[in-house]
Amino acid sequence: MTTQMPGAGSESRATPANPGTTSGGGDLAFEKISHRYVNGSRRTEVLNEVSFNVPAGSVACVVGPSGCGKSTLLALAAGLQPASSGVVRWDGKPVRLGPNPDLGMAFQQPGLFPWMTVRQNVAIGLTTRGRSRAEARRIADDFLLAVGLHDFQDAYPNQLSGGMAQRVGIARALALNPRLLLLDEPFAAVDAFTRLKLQQELKSLLKRYRPTVLFVTHDVSEAILLGDVIVAMSQRPATVQRIIPIEHADRNRASPAYARKLAEALECLGIRSDADGA
Amino acid sequence: MADDTAATAAGTMRKAGVGRAVPGSRVLLPLAGIAFACAIWQLTVVVYDLPVIVLPPPWAVATSLSELVRSAAFWRDVGVSLFEFVCGYALGTIAGIAVGALMAESRFFRMTATPVIESLRFIVPFAWIPLTVLWFGTSYTGKILLVAYAVFFVMTVSTARSVMHVDPTLTRVGTMLGMSRIELALRVHLRAAAPAIASAARAAAAVGWIAVVAAEYVGASAGLGVLITNAATSLQTGHVLAGMVVIGLIGAGVSGLIRRLSRSRLDY
Amino acid sequence: MTGRIRAWTLGACGLGAALIGWWLLSLALAGGGGVISRLPPPFAVGAKLIAYARTDLAADLLASLKVFAAGWVAGVILATIAGVMLGRVRTLGRIFLPLVEAIRPVSSIAWVPLSIVWFGFGFTSKMFLVGLAVFLVVIVYAVDGSTRIAPELSRTAAMLGMNAWQRFRNLVLPGVLSEVFIGSRVSLMTGWGTVIVAELVAADAGLGAHLIGVQQSYDVAAVVAAMICFGASGFVMNALFSAVEARLMPWRQPAGQDE
Repeated sequence: MTTQMPGAGSESRATPANPGTTSGGGDLAFEKISHRYVNGSRRTEVLNEVSFNVPAGSVACVVGPSGCGKSTLLALAAGLQPASSGVVRWDGKPVRLGPNPDLGMAFQQPGLFPWMTVRQNVAIGLTTRGRSRAEARRIADDFLLAVGLHDFQDAYPNQLSGGMAQRVGIARALALNPRLLLLDEPFAAVDAFTRLKLQQELKSLLKRYRPTVLFVTHDVSEAILLGDVIVAMSQRPATVQRIIPIEHADRNRASPAYARKLAEALECLGIRSDADGA
Repeated sequence: MADDTAATAAGTMRKAGVGRAVPGSRVLLPLAGIAFACAIWQLTVVVYDLPVIVLPPPWAVATSLSELVRSAAFWRDVGVSLFEFVCGYALGTIAGIAVGALMAESRFFRMTATPVIESLRFIVPFAWIPLTVLWFGTSYTGKILLVAYAVFFVMTVSTARSVMHVDPTLTRVGTMLGMSRIELALRVHLRAAAPAIASAARAAAAVGWIAVVAAEYVGASAGLGVLITNAATSLQTGHVLAGMVVIGLIGAGVSGLIRRLSRSRLDY
Repeated sequence: MTGRIRAWTLGACGLGAALIGWWLLSLALAGGGGVISRLPPPFAVGAKLIAYARTDLAADLLASLKVFAAGWVAGVILATIAGVMLGRVRTLGRIFLPLVEAIRPVSSIAWVPLSIVWFGFGFTSKMFLVGLAVFLVVIVYAVDGSTRIAPELSRTAAMLGMNAWQRFRNLVLPGVLSEVFIGSRVSLMTGWGTVIVAELVAADAGLGAHLIGVQQSYDVAAVVAAMICFGASGFVMNALFSAVEARLMPWRQPAGQDE
């Protein structure tokens, strides 16, 4: 990875070491979002008057029980679905259906195009958004290196394990240099050791770029490590139970502050941490 | 979850199609099967003392086959049938994929067109033969349209189904990356459905080839079907059987060709 | 408008548009121009349809159905047995499956002359043709069903210590039967089409014979009417079969829900 100083007027070529000139996210706001799914005669209320703010450049980690609509929040923020009621605002304006050039998203299923190699999968987003093919390839290579998949550039998705495919999806989202980054349980399928490495890598990338991040996870300790704020959701129909701010000191796993934050978050989710266990 | 290195190894193995294959058995055993069938055949002829016009023995069919191959008329007939087939197949496949994709992409179109297509689907190509003879006589056009009709329905239904079954995550990814609806339809949906569409194309080829011969049987002046029925009328059963063998060989050849063409690019 | 009603309305519109298009086309071509010099308008066909229904339709239909039923049942049963044998005994499969694959594309039409030589013009001949066509379709499904067992199921069976017969009964048979069921449905149309072909040649009884008859008297409207009968009966058979399938295998509901 080459380190270049971003100069004034230099083209915004984003690499992990070299943040582009378009850095920094905008504000993401959920205002009284309610959403329901209709399947035949069954109506499922998933979200009930969810409201919270993610200030520009900060990381919000959404945690909550399975099926409580966390993925729906991401889909609404991404403009993939319209909300049943309420407004999602990005940069002050309501989110509209359709592609958002500021957006990079990694889904729960990696969603790699099976007929393209790993490198092509990462590059396709860049070419769709206007970069030249050569540039796209270079950027793709850099980000694949960052997620540790440099050796698999020419492999096809059906040759990858679940965790590897997921990493490609993350590289693809990050390579877009997005101002709004949406991640849906990106490390769920990855083994524990790789997960720790990737968390560190993601953290340093986020620090350089400062996009606005909405990160869904079921791993509370991951949320404490990566988030500036934890949004704890209730069961379906989900509301925001509590918003827990995270200080720098809380991230030190050896500190009592970490333990307290962990306990607080778990309690929100209904998991009491008695010394004797229940 | 599989460890990374194991996964790559598994991936390569999957691609190589590893099995417990005895070397050469891929070719030997099928040949053994054919030999076995021929043996039974020969036995039946001898044991039941069947007259040649009922069931000629294998060597008689082989002789007929070599006679045919040496006659120019035979090749002309084969050419006619193939020509009708290829034209009809091309027409039917292109139209079928286009309409099928349209049905998958546009709900409005799907709901409007489905009853019409479903009703026509039940009027099997064979049932159209008398009508095409009435309309087009023994010309090429009728046969080509018949093949196109038969192929069209197979491809429309399969294409629509395959495109609708594409992993929805891919659509979401495409939208997220900024693709328009048309881009999504062409670059993502069709590509993702391509392997299924290709295998439907092979099935459609079989259907189309059958339709050609069937049509030629009822009303034609040239073609393999005509060759066979003429042989049947003059009780040259050896030629009938030889003709059937040719039909089978060409059918297998076309199917294999399509599979070969689709394998390299669509192996995902 | 809910989804269901909307679908029906649009569908009816589509059908109506097609009928109107047909009628207009027949008017345009009535002047005797072009290749399709005789396209009867929809009501002419309708009239012929009613006339046919009043006379021979029932008898012809019954005759065709008898041939079809006999051939179809025979074909399915034989294909299942053969498919299981070829699928489970690897060597047999490798010997005979390529043979089957080679024979499959040979049109049932080609077999007609042979069948006539062997069985004459009667019921047996037609039943043979139908049975053969059905056999060749269903056998692929039977082989598939008997060979494709999910590895987890195999391992579970091994863990539970099942013997060969138990494995067959609990793993292979259900798979085979469900695949054969699907294949039988597919072969309905193939078999029904073969009936027509057989009758086009033998021309002694049934819908196909009627079809050839009216074709030779250049009665285009009656030809189209006969085609519609054929299609309608195929549709009804398919619908009945689907209904039975839905009852017996409720988990296989075809995905029809648009969100």
